[in-house]
Amino acid sequence: MPPRLPLAQAARCCRALIQAPTSSTSVVSLFAALSVQTRSASILGSLSDLKEAYHKRIRKGRGPSSGKGKTSGRGHNGQKQKGKVNPWFQGGQTPLIFSHGQKGFVNHRAPEMAELNLDRVQAFINAGRLDPTKRITPRELILSGCVGKNLKDGIKLLARGKDTLQTPIDIMVSRASAAAITSIESVGGKIVTRYYTKESLKRLVYGDSISTDKPLPFGPEHVDAVLEDSRATQKHYYRLPDPTGRWDIEYYRDPAHRGYLSHQLKPGESPSLYFKVPGEKKTIYKSKVKDEGAAELDVKLF
Amino acid sequence: MASQASAKNITRSVSDPWNPVTSVPVTIYSFPSLEPRALESWSPRHLHLPLRRDILHLAVIYEGDMTRQGTASSKTRYMVHGSGRKLSAQKGSGRARRGDKKSPLLRGGGKSFGPHPRDFSTSLNRKVYDLAWRTALSYRYRRGELIVAQDGLELPLPNDFLQMVSAEVLGRELEDGFVRKYMKQILDGLSWGKAHGRTTFITGDRRPNLFTAMDVAGEDGRAMLLDDVDVKDLLETGRIVIERSALKEMVKNHQSDLISSVAVNGIRAKGPPIGQLILNAEDHSYNRSLKRACV
Repeated sequence: MPPRLPLAQAARCCRALIQAPTSSTSVVSLFAALSVQTRSASILGSLSDLKEAYHKRIRKGRGPSSGKGKTSGRGHNGQKQKGKVNPWFQGGQTPLIFSHGQKGFVNHRAPEMAELNLDRVQAFINAGRLDPTKRITPRELILSGCVGKNLKDGIKLLARGKDTLQTPIDIMVSRASAAAITSIESVGGKIVTRYYTKESLKRLVYGDSISTDKPLPFGPEHVDAVLEDSRATQKHYYRLPDPTGRWDIEYYRDPAHRGYLSHQLKPGESPSLYFKVPGEKKTIYKSKVKDEGAAELDVKLF
Repeated sequence: MASQASAKNITRSVSDPWNPVTSVPVTIYSFPSLEPRALESWSPRHLHLPLRRDILHLAVIYEGDMTRQGTASSKTRYMVHGSGRKLSAQKGSGRARRGDKKSPLLRGGGKSFGPHPRDFSTSLNRKVYDLAWRTALSYRYRRGELIVAQDGLELPLPNDFLQMVSAEVLGRELEDGFVRKYMKQILDGLSWGKAHGRTTFITGDRRPNLFTAMDVAGEDGRAMLLDDVDVKDLLETGRIVIERSALKEMVKNHQSDLISSVAVNGIRAKGPPIGQLILNAEDHSYNRSLKRACV
């Protein structure tokens, strides 16, 4: 085996030769570099965090020299010295919450939307993080980090920085403000709002659902086509749900919201499921002609 | 001297531009002959990071906290077995008041504020911890204490000995004694033994000869599996001898701060490549060029 010079020492003595060729040190010192004894002292003994990372703990009530000795920084005499004062205490006056009572309530069941503003969308497009040539769906928005990865019940598009939006985009989100819709369409973009739930957003992100702006097909004539589709693909894709609540159905039926159900409205029909447009005729349901044979079979006990 | 040199380099001129290293060389050795078998180029962000003692400190403390067992346990007065009967009447005995015999004040009673099982582990940001891994490797690399061995790092034992072992001529004690002496001699010959701060061998999976030898010759070093290594292990002994694939795996598992989670134009930054082969001794064209150079 060839004799081997430890690499660290080699570097050290070579550097000495390079860096100080003109210095008047004797040759002995150069040889000294070669004969340096290696001590394998571990670095573990000299590790420490930055000095600023250490804080000296304030020791209250530990004598006058500590600066927090006699009263421990709590002053003299009073409720605050002895304990705590309730946060709603108003100096003895009957607290407003008792004299006037509580107003309003918090709806814990309301869907919580992730808010997305137009300036952020434009910034992400400029940075190359969103592709404006394709339709921007919640999947793209979530995966690019444009809205947080902490999924909520949907995404609502708002119009902050609407003047910065220059790119025509094709975007599909849960809800959109009126100002956001006008500013997107004024630069030649397109927007559709679609019903999403937290679960369906999760499935879109994981690729367990296919993004679409079409509602679920309804009726026996669609059964064959749907079955054929599902047999053709190996993977089972979950279908995106449609709204079942009245408020949601009305929102997505409304063309003003660019809802994905708005094509279901007949001309002049109101998106509301309850109120009718004035002058609209009442639909009169014809009573079914009863089968006489069935009527005869109807045996009355009483 | 070091301070003088750094003071000189504070300002730079056009004639003396700042040229940071863009790659660092890593030689792959055979073991135990330590012949260079290949040359690789590595990114300085993997193997040439500046020494950050604070980051290493954070990592070592984090590991130490995580390693604490936290199983110390004691019984309170309610857990100690015994009756709740009052030992003596409240008044009239002329002695101190006494409740039940499990009181912390009495011998054999419970412990008031004793230890109970708990989790001592603290948290450290993943990117900081990964930086600590590569800082530790860089520190070793810069000092020449990171020796990268070919894949399949194993201790070759002499054929005569292996034959005798398979014939079961030697007892367990003699076999261990031989292996211990053999390993010791190799390590002493390389200046890798106890006198030079011991050596840590790191491999991807268990190599029977090497691991047995380091078990019996433990005072000269140790052999560890890649999965068992942490930052403190990388800093402990005099040098680290690591298999090439294990080093790659180690860096690959600890580069979260170099990998971007942001896709720009559909492309996500995957960090610098982990070791690129420049020269390989097994490559015939290289051998030919070497011979030509020798002639």
